[in-house]
Amino acid sequence: MHNVWLIARREYLERIRTRGFLIATILIPLLMGGGIATSILIAKHAKSNSRIVIVSQDMRLGQDLKEQLARDTDGGMQVNLISPPSANTRPSLERMIHKKDLDGYITLTPVNGGRPQITYRQGSSADLATRETVQESLGKVLERERLIQQGMSSKDVDAMMRPVEMTSSNAAPEDNTSANFAGAYTLFFLMYLVIMLYGMNVARSIIEEKTSRVFEVMLATVKPAQMMAGKVIGVGSVGLTQVSIWMLAAVLLTATPIMAYLLGAGAHISLSAAQVAYFLVFFLLGYLLYSAMAAALGAMTNSEQELQQLNMFLVMPLAACMVALPLVLNAPASLPARIISFIPFCAPLLMYMRISVSPVPWYEIVGSIAVMVATIYAVLWVSSRIYRVGILMYGKKPNLTEIRRWLRYS
Amino acid sequence: MPTVELEHIRKVYESKVAVAGLSLVIEPGTMFGLLGPNGSGKTSSIRMMIGITIPDSGTVKLFGKPFQRDMLQRVGYLPEERGLYKKMNVLEQIVFMGQLRGLSAAEAQKRGKAWAERLQITEALPKKTEELSKGMQQKIQFICTLLHDPELIIMDEPFSGLDPVNGALLQDTLLQLRAAGKSILFSTHRMDQVERMCDSIALIHRGEVVLAGTMRQIKSEYPRNRVEMAYEGDERFLQHPSVESHKQYGGVANLKLSGAQPDAQPLLAEAVRNGTRITRFEVKEPTLEEIFIERVGGAVDA
Repeated sequence: MHNVWLIARREYLERIRTRGFLIATILIPLLMGGGIATSILIAKHAKSNSRIVIVSQDMRLGQDLKEQLARDTDGGMQVNLISPPSANTRPSLERMIHKKDLDGYITLTPVNGGRPQITYRQGSSADLATRETVQESLGKVLERERLIQQGMSSKDVDAMMRPVEMTSSNAAPEDNTSANFAGAYTLFFLMYLVIMLYGMNVARSIIEEKTSRVFEVMLATVKPAQMMAGKVIGVGSVGLTQVSIWMLAAVLLTATPIMAYLLGAGAHISLSAAQVAYFLVFFLLGYLLYSAMAAALGAMTNSEQELQQLNMFLVMPLAACMVALPLVLNAPASLPARIISFIPFCAPLLMYMRISVSPVPWYEIVGSIAVMVATIYAVLWVSSRIYRVGILMYGKKPNLTEIRRWLRYS
Repeated sequence: MPTVELEHIRKVYESKVAVAGLSLVIEPGTMFGLLGPNGSGKTSSIRMMIGITIPDSGTVKLFGKPFQRDMLQRVGYLPEERGLYKKMNVLEQIVFMGQLRGLSAAEAQKRGKAWAERLQITEALPKKTEELSKGMQQKIQFICTLLHDPELIIMDEPFSGLDPVNGALLQDTLLQLRAAGKSILFSTHRMDQVERMCDSIALIHRGEVVLAGTMRQIKSEYPRNRVEMAYEGDERFLQHPSVESHKQYGGVANLKLSGAQPDAQPLLAEAVRNGTRITRFEVKEPTLEEIFIERVGGAVDA
């Protein structure tokens, strides 16, 4: 065990000290966060800068809408009112839209005893933000209009229409299924990504050892299985460190007022403690399983190019999980979903998904974990066998019959 | 109690017999030479000796007991295919290897520095391994092998790739270690080296021992039937009846005399009579190389 720890520590330190690790750790969240923030800012920007014109027969209604729009966009939208319109108002507005001096205009035509007829002419049909704002403001204006018509004083109406102040306390996350689901989904992809990235790193580190010829010195001191375990743990810890940094950064970012301002309320991803715990357990098991498989691939090959060809053995099961995902989400308790969540290569991703979207009996959870642990052990045993025999007879990539024979070698 | 005892170990890879029933004994405090041309089974034998592979049949005993993994703490092994972690700092690397063999970090560091001084590479310690020259790296590997003060030192082709100065330095170090009571086994295909350093040897060819024993024993089994002479002038002595075969290298001749009890005296008399000017005349036993070639009938597939 001491040796495993020493090897793991060496791998960990060597990787974590590289410039590549630093860059990836800082740059990826920066790029992702930056991308999200920019797109939100652009969306806001577009909304506030629109220039529109209200064309209304009814002066008071037009004025009302203009004020509401100004309120809703914090004065960002440039709104002009033409009331009452003349015969050539429409053609001149059309010309302005054509010349892009105007983003759109709203026509309000009163109808006796009912809702006014409203048309919205927009320069660019892609400008959804402006359209949405206009729609929202119009709704409020019309509602107020109706209330006043029915005899309410405008003061009462204003009091009634004031936006609801909601003190947001953290409601029990279990109740919030959609946020829960989004959280599970995010974690699913995180798992997928890290398993993919760091599983391959295990394979690469084994090949590295072969090309630098350190392995024989190492084999004279440690068992191949210890060597494998050390590598899997060491490289995995690097992955965990990176993910932890990212998650911490994400939590800190969403907690800051900037992000709240950018995303508005309700954008945070809520996760229950149990969900996080299951994530950790299944993430670790999934990582161990796939990196043990990667270790076997690394043991079989002598160069990175050869490894690329065998890559699919890692990618295929993961891809299969992705394909099976909708099935599990739609009917988490169905027989097929239950069966595939027991297949060791899918269990880490799919059983975790099942647990987060629906209650799963404890014995199924324990069962799938047991199956995975057994598989990890078996795969590690096989890969350390291949590693040792492969190394001592290096030179070529083995075929299937050779691998079978290697497993029987002592 | 011998340090290493191999009994009829045998290893077959696929269809190739790598080692065919090899037996050998290494006594404590001796230097043992494992000799043979390339592909003769030296490395395969060594690997079985330290449990990297397990023999198909036969037994391996280290320190008087059947092989067990924890004995490796008392063995220092330098493989022929050696390498270091390239990105690692040299001292860290030495400490890591020491720790794997049961030393504490502090102790490994202390010993590493002492060894570096002894091998004159102190200035390399803070560098990254990939910045070092090949010879320097070899010295680092040497240190890694010896750091935990092993009782049995096994080195596969330790001198290949070293310049003469460093080769001599390592040779002296090994001789000092033997004087300190360590058992040392090294393999080589350079027989002249073995002749100078080893107490006993095993010569293997195609996985089998063709010659084994102490240096003195082996030499005494062969009659002193070689003559090396430096001369000028008349060459008719080469045709003397006691000369079985000869090789000439411009002014120097290596002669092999015939018979079980060869006598060089008549040959010398003949040469003097013919008026050959002799500057050197030496009667020797055959070199290991000559013995080896004689044993395997010149069929050395290098």
